[in-house]
Amino acid sequence: MEITVVHHPFGVAEVTVGGRLNMVTAARMREAIESAIDSNHPNVAVDLSQVVFLDSSGLGALVSGLKAVRASGGDLRLVRPAEQAQLVLELTNMGSVLKSYDTVGDAFPHA
Amino acid sequence: MPEIVSRTLRLSSPPDTVDTVQDLLATIWAQTPRLDPADRMAAELSIVELTANVIEHANRGQAIRFTLTVVVSDDRIEATATDEGSVEHVDLSDRSMPDQWSERGRGLPIMQALNDSVEHRRVDGVNYWTVVRARRSPSSKRGRKVMPSISISGVIDEMARQRALEDMGILDTAPEERFDRVTRLARQLFGVETAAVNFIDGDRQWAKSVSGAGPVEMTREASMCTVTIQSNEPLVVADMTADPRYSGKVVPGLLAFYAGFPLYAPGGERIGAFCVYDSTPRHFSVRETEMLRDLAGWVQQELTVSQELSRASEVQQGLLPQQLLSMPGWQIGGVCIPARAVGGDFYDWYPVGEGAALTLADAMGKGIGASIIAATVRAVLRSAARFADVAGAIDAASAALTIDLNNAGVFVTAFHARLDMDSGELSYVDAGHGLSIIARADGSSERLRSHAPPLGVDPETEWPLQTAILEPGDTLIVVSDGVLDLYDGSLRSLDNLVALALLAKDPWEIIEAIRARARGTSSDDVTMLIARRDDAR
Repeated sequence: MEITVVHHPFGVAEVTVGGRLNMVTAARMREAIESAIDSNHPNVAVDLSQVVFLDSSGLGALVSGLKAVRASGGDLRLVRPAEQAQLVLELTNMGSVLKSYDTVGDAFPHA
Repeated sequence: MPEIVSRTLRLSSPPDTVDTVQDLLATIWAQTPRLDPADRMAAELSIVELTANVIEHANRGQAIRFTLTVVVSDDRIEATATDEGSVEHVDLSDRSMPDQWSERGRGLPIMQALNDSVEHRRVDGVNYWTVVRARRSPSSKRGRKVMPSISISGVIDEMARQRALEDMGILDTAPEERFDRVTRLARQLFGVETAAVNFIDGDRQWAKSVSGAGPVEMTREASMCTVTIQSNEPLVVADMTADPRYSGKVVPGLLAFYAGFPLYAPGGERIGAFCVYDSTPRHFSVRETEMLRDLAGWVQQELTVSQELSRASEVQQGLLPQQLLSMPGWQIGGVCIPARAVGGDFYDWYPVGEGAALTLADAMGKGIGASIIAATVRAVLRSAARFADVAGAIDAASAALTIDLNNAGVFVTAFHARLDMDSGELSYVDAGHGLSIIARADGSSERLRSHAPPLGVDPETEWPLQTAILEPGDTLIVVSDGVLDLYDGSLRSLDNLVALALLAKDPWEIIEAIRARARGTSSDDVTMLIARRDDAR
């Protein structure tokens, strides 16, 4: 899994993930979100367009991140989840909590 | 063109992870280009969830080894994971997705949503997980299908079958007339070249009885009986050469006609077959099939008898003293090897006051009848000896048993003694047994003679109480007549035992020597009881 973080104004962090987000990489996903919060970027946009595989462990990391950013007054939103990730979000009824947007700008319009 | 791809991976976690599995899956997908992308996506997610579940939960977080098999066939994608983790119970009742804020618990619901069957079974400490997904076909609307796993039920049935067969304890035993008589008869009755009682054991077929030209052992692959045990129906193939299903199993000069009936373990597992076969194809009439069924029923009955006997044998061995008698300054040991599954001999010991009660008895005859009498004698002596003196115990046993013994027309010889731990005084009653000897430390010996009759001869008998002293270094040896038969059968055999006692450093060495002598050759029950007083040193 590749993971890059870009900081934007207004406390927005753009986290781009590539490859597999599974049991092996879930911890790194959580860490990336934690460090965004630590650097005062609690509005996290997770770009899933490059993710080829998402499973329940990866999803668990996203839920954990969502709870952490909300506790810091921010939010976690998804950007363009790839086909397989979308399937998992639908299957698990998580689409209403982990909302998807086309761009980072759509996810956090004031950024 | 049918498309079947099967891959098996042995994994160890750590270091293996779900990534190892996903790399395997990538090679499978590369070989199954016609697999619908939706099926592929669902299968990959399910198999990863299954693997994660095994790694995370199956061994409570400990390192774990497991095997994963993935099969993609025309109609399904099936994955089986087997692990030896400690988790025993898994609730697979339909799970719904957890609360949206939950970080865990979505693995099983995902597997259930994407597959037609999700199973978990635990057999012999091994967990079997299977997920089966029916492949999407362009014409069919997708609805949940009934799709029991092929591999998991097959594997488990075969394991149960194998275990049932092994439990019967019949594999690799010597030929027995009670089976040979049936195969001989079948061969004559049907005029075939071979009749056999075959068992399917792992990857081989083994015959308990063969009459005729057939082999005792062959590979399972080549076996016809392995086909017979797949159902409860008889398998009759008049001409194997003409049937493409069996033509590969034809053995020129031996096997071209086959008729067989399955044989069962007590639990109903099909463990083998009773069969007749011939090198020449032939007609086998309905009447002949019925006759073969009757003979198979006979073999089945003999198998059931074996099974009951081996149970009885366990019960009887359980009646022998299970615990060593701990008596300072003494070593006490015994052995009982029945000639058949059960026998008429027994020995017994138990602590009494500052010493022990010792018994060895031999009910006339062998087998089940004798064993029932022996068990009764043991019970009566045990209950009597706790409250009465040695002679009183024998009197009580005689009084209680005479009617039974008379009815059965048998008698019982018995040596019953009480040994005082400190003085070495042995008070004993010998009821017609007379096979006890003391091997003295100096090499001399003293037979404990008996002039009294056995139990069951005359209820008016008064058995005299006799005494002897066991000095330091002395060994008391009490045997059944089966032990004499291991030597020349006469009372001189007792001298051999005295010599053995002088050479052996403890009772167990004597017992091992007798056990080795009795191996495979004894026609009578072999029973021995030994009490050795430690040297004064």
